[in-house]
Amino acid sequence: MLSVPRKALIPFLSVILLAAFVGTIPAAVLPVNGQVLSDDWKNDIEEYLLEIDKNTTAEIVIYVVDSLYGHGIRKDGTELNDIVQLGVYIFNELPLDTPSGPVVGIGKKGKDNGVLVLVAMEEQKWRIEVGYGLEGYITDAESYQIAQNEYLVPKFQEGKYGEGLASTVEALAKEIPKVDKTEQIPTRGRYVYDNAEPPADEEIPWWVIALIVIFVIVMISVGGRFGGGRTGRSGGRSRGGGGRSGGGGGGGRSGGGGSSGKW
Amino acid sequence: MNSKWIAVVIIVAILVVVGVIFAVLYFGTYNNLVALEESVDEKWAQVEQELQRRYDLIPRVVNASKLYIKYEGSILQNVTELRSQWAAAMNSGDLDAINDATGKLDSAVSNLIVVIENYPELKASQVVEDLIVELEGTENRISTERMRYNEAVRDYNRERRSFPANLWAAGWGFEGREYFEAKVGAEEPPTVPID
Repeated sequence: MLSVPRKALIPFLSVILLAAFVGTIPAAVLPVNGQVLSDDWKNDIEEYLLEIDKNTTAEIVIYVVDSLYGHGIRKDGTELNDIVQLGVYIFNELPLDTPSGPVVGIGKKGKDNGVLVLVAMEEQKWRIEVGYGLEGYITDAESYQIAQNEYLVPKFQEGKYGEGLASTVEALAKEIPKVDKTEQIPTRGRYVYDNAEPPADEEIPWWVIALIVIFVIVMISVGGRFGGGRTGRSGGRSRGGGGRSGGGGGGGRSGGGGSSGKW
Repeated sequence: MNSKWIAVVIIVAILVVVGVIFAVLYFGTYNNLVALEESVDEKWAQVEQELQRRYDLIPRVVNASKLYIKYEGSILQNVTELRSQWAAAMNSGDLDAINDATGKLDSAVSNLIVVIENYPELKASQVVEDLIVELEGTENRISTERMRYNEAVRDYNRERRSFPANLWAAGWGFEGREYFEAKVGAEEPPTVPID
């Protein structure tokens, strides 16, 4: 292994750790992460969508952001502020937490049978992104009718967010055909991302960072006193974006199909 | 065994190792380029499919809205004309012409959407509303697939130009691919009818 002088390593490590620290904390501390759904609604919807996943293998996912600005979801370093682009990215590329680990792609791999219902509270915008495999069952016009005229917008205008989202996903689910039960496909297990936890590149828990920082401080102070001591390598590397998990669904793709509107 | 033989064995072993490394590199690079180029073609097919979807949709939108749109008659005519020009460009197969015609049709279609959305009578019609949603969906699909195509081209061109592929790519017949960017007209802001 390449040996790097410790003195050169310390500033480098400190900068990286400081950046990780600063990047992580605001998302956890700032009070912007208000939940739009009550726990009751959230549990009801989760339960319902799990049942849909079991019966149809389709994955309907709800994703709520406070605003199209400041949500921190970036592509090539640029925050996605357009609701359509954001929807395509969340659908196809953003690792989302599930009980079996982070999963990329809504809907089952090969079936592309996912639906994403994305709402931005501040801009009062909604977007429904339909996976390739469901475009024949949920046309753009149908998703628009469901969200704009029948369920989502009318309920959201009354401030009934839980009811609006629940009735919207129910109407969408009714368009999706049931499948043969003999086909055993693992379910996704999580469907509601309400002002979701910070995206995957900020997934290191705060206490790990705190420990690393303490470790580095100790290292610097010890190293300062006993110059020439051996340098340990810090284990502070992030696990990165998170991959696709073995069982548990995910892997579906979409290509901008669906509809969008305002309430 | 004398030292001469040992030297020969070592040299042969080195040659074999170098040969194997070279072969792996050579064929690996080739296969990689094939895969990347295939991805470019695959994504182009997706783009074409969505452009075709728009082509099929435009006459329906024009027919449904021509009863209502009285003063902006030229908009419908314009879209219809550009649609034919686009089809001609696609038939020619020349990417520059396709880029150009697609860009013009892009702005004409977004113009049309804005115009229709500003007609209250039109918005009230369920048929037109559905068609507009479909047209918007098609525009989103086109831009999504176009972005993916351009990403595939970028990956392919980058690999083709980097070492060691740059040594062999031309000999193997891998040519650089062009981005699909609507250059002309796409930046023109749509005109909004005044009422």
